[in-house]
Amino acid sequence: MQISEEIKISDNGFVFNSRTGESFSLNPMGLEMIKMIAIDNGFDEIRESILEKYDVDELAFEKDFYEFLAMLKHHQLTQQGNPLDFV
Amino acid sequence: MKKSTYEKPIISKITTGVPGKFGLSTKQKIIAEIDSIPVAKFVEEFGSPVFVFSEKKIRETYNDAKRAFETRYPKVQFAWSYKTNYLDAVCSIFHDEGAWAEVVSGFEFEKALSLGVNGANILYNGPEKSKQDLMLAIDHNASIHIDHFDELYLLIETTRKMNKKARVAIRINLDAGIYPMWDRFGFNYENGEAWNAINRIMLAENLELIGLHTHIGTYIMTASAYGIAASKLSNLMIATHRKFDYWLKYIDLGGGFASKNTLKGAYMPGSETCPSFDDYAEAISNAIISSEIPHENLPVLFLETGRALIDDAGYLITSVLANKRSTTGRKTLVIDAGVNLLFTSFWYNLGVFPSREVTDFMEDTTIYGPLCMNIDVVREAINFPQIKTGDQLVIERVGAYNVTQWMQFITYRPNVVLIDLEGKTHIIRKKENLETIKKNEFNPKK
Ligand SMILES: Cc1ncc(COP(=O)(O)O)c(C=O)c1O
Repeated sequence: MQISEEIKISDNGFVFNSRTGESFSLNPMGLEMIKMIAIDNGFDEIRESILEKYDVDELAFEKDFYEFLAMLKHHQLTQQGNPLDFV
Repeated sequence: MKKSTYEKPIISKITTGVPGKFGLSTKQKIIAEIDSIPVAKFVEEFGSPVFVFSEKKIRETYNDAKRAFETRYPKVQFAWSYKTNYLDAVCSIFHDEGAWAEVVSGFEFEKALSLGVNGANILYNGPEKSKQDLMLAIDHNASIHIDHFDELYLLIETTRKMNKKARVAIRINLDAGIYPMWDRFGFNYENGEAWNAINRIMLAENLELIGLHTHIGTYIMTASAYGIAASKLSNLMIATHRKFDYWLKYIDLGGGFASKNTLKGAYMPGSETCPSFDDYAEAISNAIISSEIPHENLPVLFLETGRALIDDAGYLITSVLANKRSTTGRKTLVIDAGVNLLFTSFWYNLGVFPSREVTDFMEDTTIYGPLCMNIDVVREAINFPQIKTGDQLVIERVGAYNVTQWMQFITYRPNVVLIDLEGKTHIIRKKENLETIKKNEFNPKK
């Protein structure tokens, strides 16, 4: 999954979509994850880094992460791919 | 190295111009304990979901209401509205505080008797009274509130056959400026029907007319409507005295005071908008005292207050079964209590609260019950924090009507627990099981 080119992410958790003019806000964890996604980290890398740093178990992380990705997709912040692709 | 605290990643759209949603700084209220007992402890001991009632709150609310009326009017008597909550333990607390019983069926009448209520302290309302019910009421000297002419004639016939007297009142419907006007119960004031009924009863030798009753509706937000109703009943009392030289003994203004719950569609929370007991008491007392009834003949004022006396004392503890996203990206929660247990969620935006500290981030959320039906929605839209699956929520102000109108549908009805004045917990209605359901079934095929 890739973040679309038009998306600008600021360090204070503010997200702007220059194509639609919409803006979004992220909580600190959302910001940390979207930054990793934006630089093309895969699921495994992100999981490893979060699990190492934070007090969270693998399954809880996985669930939250995929829900977060689904929301990014829902808000059209990601490049639209094939609907049959796994997230 | 100690790891940092994790929180769920969240992204939300910023909608300019619309206040609230993201950045709304209102602090989320938490209900971590009920009468100093941690919420988790109830679930551990009694399962989830579980209804919890506070005896302390019941008594406090009752005494607030009583004080509001007794400081303004000389003779006040509450009659506990059984239909609102007829769990034995709850009724017994109200009776212990001095309340009479207000019942609307043979079943409720029998339940009041079984709790030791003196028949003469039962007000018997409602349009559904069979001949057997009437005989039971006559035998126990209850006040029978006649709903319609057919009942009046059945009562005349029954008292003749029994060769006994019945103490009666009539239910009156009237225009108190409330929309919709409840005109399906009782005799109408404005068109003279109530006056006709009074005349007929005064001539019936086995009927002793002792009072006038009305119940103008439920969740009445304007206290002045009660002033209008009290004036109209006072007028009938005066007319009865003029014609028959007889003072009726009581005026019963029914129930209907609003509880602090918030009606669906209301802009402001009910806790901000609903009148206080003092407001209702002021309107009613002024109307009767300023009528032409002489001070020494002032009637006893009966009140059948239901929801306003018990809503606040009841809680439902429930657990989160699932966190989901709808196809539109909307956050949804599935909890283990639905409309089967929360009949009042059809009228109210019930207050749902986390039971432990949450992050500040709030999101517009829909809360679903566990039933396999589309209508099982506890809250359509509530600004809600992130709650982990398995965590407990507390739904407040569910003491009225839910434990009488609940449905045994798909699952068993849960334990109901009372916290007594010493802080001890008691199961006052046991969770149902297969046997509860099957014991009244008969299977000719097996
Ligand atoms: C005759 C009568 N009295 C009292 C009540 C209690 O009403 P509430 O719970 O609105 O106070 C009702 C409720 O419908 C009623 O019908």
